[in-house]
Amino acid sequence: MSFLTVQGLHKRYGATPVFSDIDCAIERGEFVTLLGPSGCGKSTLLRCIAGLTDVDGGTIRLDGQDLLPLPPQKRGIGMVFQSYALFPNMTVAQNVAFGLRMQKVPRAERTRRVEETLELVELSALADRYPQQLSGGQSQRVALARSLITRPRLLLLDEPLSALDARIRRHLREEIRRIQQELGLTTLFVTHDQEEALTLSDRILLMDAGHIVQNGSAEALYTEPASAFAAGFIGHYNLLDAEPASRLLGRPLRRRVAIRPEAIRLGTGALRGEIRSRSLLGNVIRYRVESQGVELWVDVLNRSAGDLLASGQVVALEIAPEAVRELEG
Amino acid sequence: MARAERRAAALYHRLVVWLLFFILLLPLAGTLLYSVSTSWSATILPSGLTLKWYLALWSDARFLTAFGHSLLVCFGALLLSVVLILPLLFVVHYHFPRLDGLMNVLILLPFAIPPVVSSVGLLQVYGGGPVPLVGTPWILIGAYFTVALPFMYRAISNNLLSLNLRDLMDAARIHGASTWRAAFLVILPNLRKGVMVALFLSFSFLFGEFVFANLLVGTRYETLQVYLNNMRNSSGHFNSALVISYFFFVLVFTWLANRLHKDLP
Repeated sequence: MSFLTVQGLHKRYGATPVFSDIDCAIERGEFVTLLGPSGCGKSTLLRCIAGLTDVDGGTIRLDGQDLLPLPPQKRGIGMVFQSYALFPNMTVAQNVAFGLRMQKVPRAERTRRVEETLELVELSALADRYPQQLSGGQSQRVALARSLITRPRLLLLDEPLSALDARIRRHLREEIRRIQQELGLTTLFVTHDQEEALTLSDRILLMDAGHIVQNGSAEALYTEPASAFAAGFIGHYNLLDAEPASRLLGRPLRRRVAIRPEAIRLGTGALRGEIRSRSLLGNVIRYRVESQGVELWVDVLNRSAGDLLASGQVVALEIAPEAVRELEG
Repeated sequence: MARAERRAAALYHRLVVWLLFFILLLPLAGTLLYSVSTSWSATILPSGLTLKWYLALWSDARFLTAFGHSLLVCFGALLLSVVLILPLLFVVHYHFPRLDGLMNVLILLPFAIPPVVSSVGLLQVYGGGPVPLVGTPWILIGAYFTVALPFMYRAISNNLLSLNLRDLMDAARIHGASTWRAAFLVILPNLRKGVMVALFLSFSFLFGEFVFANLLVGTRYETLQVYLNNMRNSSGHFNSALVISYFFFVLVFTWLANRLHKDLP
């Protein structure tokens, strides 16, 4: 049996279901991401596991123990919130020590472990500051330390990076992954950001409208989206209906098709296309190319300025057959 | 704007403020001067200065009793309101956010119904019957509670809204605190500022309350304002000393409230 198992979980607010029939399992030490658009129920699912929100049906077991009858403070779970939720009346050290104080850990050990944990998140110098004197990134690292100090069985991260600016976000992302691997923490991470999910996770659970629609590794999710929703949410897929796809690929297709923009090559191949527009994304140039009456996104590595193709230019293009993915439904 | 012009405008603004300040201060300064003069009737300036009125006032047992009564009733009402309103606000904001709308209507009632009107009602209900409270300090504490309620509720409510109540509670509970401990350790200390400001504001207001005190209790439990009213026929110098003492006390309190507002983090 897995370390964390969720079976047939239901939740509704009034008559509106938030999610239903949620089944998932997480192994010990695994970093799993719940990815989905806002309002898909991922945060509510996390809160249900934490015990902050009641469920309407199903079971949640952690390490063989039924969690549902337990209040949040007895579940042995750590959690980090998007809003940091640091206690404004306490210093950084007191915030971090909170969990141990609740467990009535003796003061000497508490001090030692606070120092240890602050070192882990590289904040030892700020122990005596108050939360309002910290930047967003520092605040979130304090929140992380506060949830790590009790050595929780499971760490829940509810969009912890969403309120931070891009540079801090990337840095803290790596920190979280490093600490998670160092401590071998079983972690469930909630985000709506596909880049975060792809770079951090051992496994991704993709959620849509209260259901888990795909469950797999980052590679699998990226290269083999199971549905139009998955293809639309991850990466920048070209989604084509059966009829234009048949025309473009020159073979009869009966289902919708997803083609990754970087799997289309420009400059070789039998197909002819016309450049409509281009946008520079940095290391990648994204072209809008029209071929056989179909408009496609094509991503090309930005090697040198001389290679840029102008609008209106006609180019040859080639679509690798293995990059064409027929979608279910 | 040119520099000279700006300076002229600044001067004008300052002048208006000082003038207003002067007009507001004039009667108070007159009262102060009157309270320290031996006699001041047919002359432009008082004939001599003395502190005897203050000495007489502060050695008058009746005054000291009234002062003590006022303090007791005010502190009683404030204690009652803190004990009742803090848990109420917490429950409203944490469990039943919709009740906040109802509470906002309820707290308007003490403003909507003039004290004279509610006094008549209170006299009817508590004049006799099972709980004859009229004439005791208890009814004043109750009535003052309703007067303090809007100040307390609004100030603490604003303080609560500026906290991220739900996330703070969630974080405290996740990290091992029961709901009670979480409220006590994580929410209450952060309401200190709102509570203190509300207390000082209400205190200054209640300390000067006259209508309820006079109608519900009168001389049977004389408060400062009722005493002032009863002494209106005695020496004007004596009354002036009383008024100045009262103002000074409220001034110190208001100043303290402001200090706290600035000093708290």
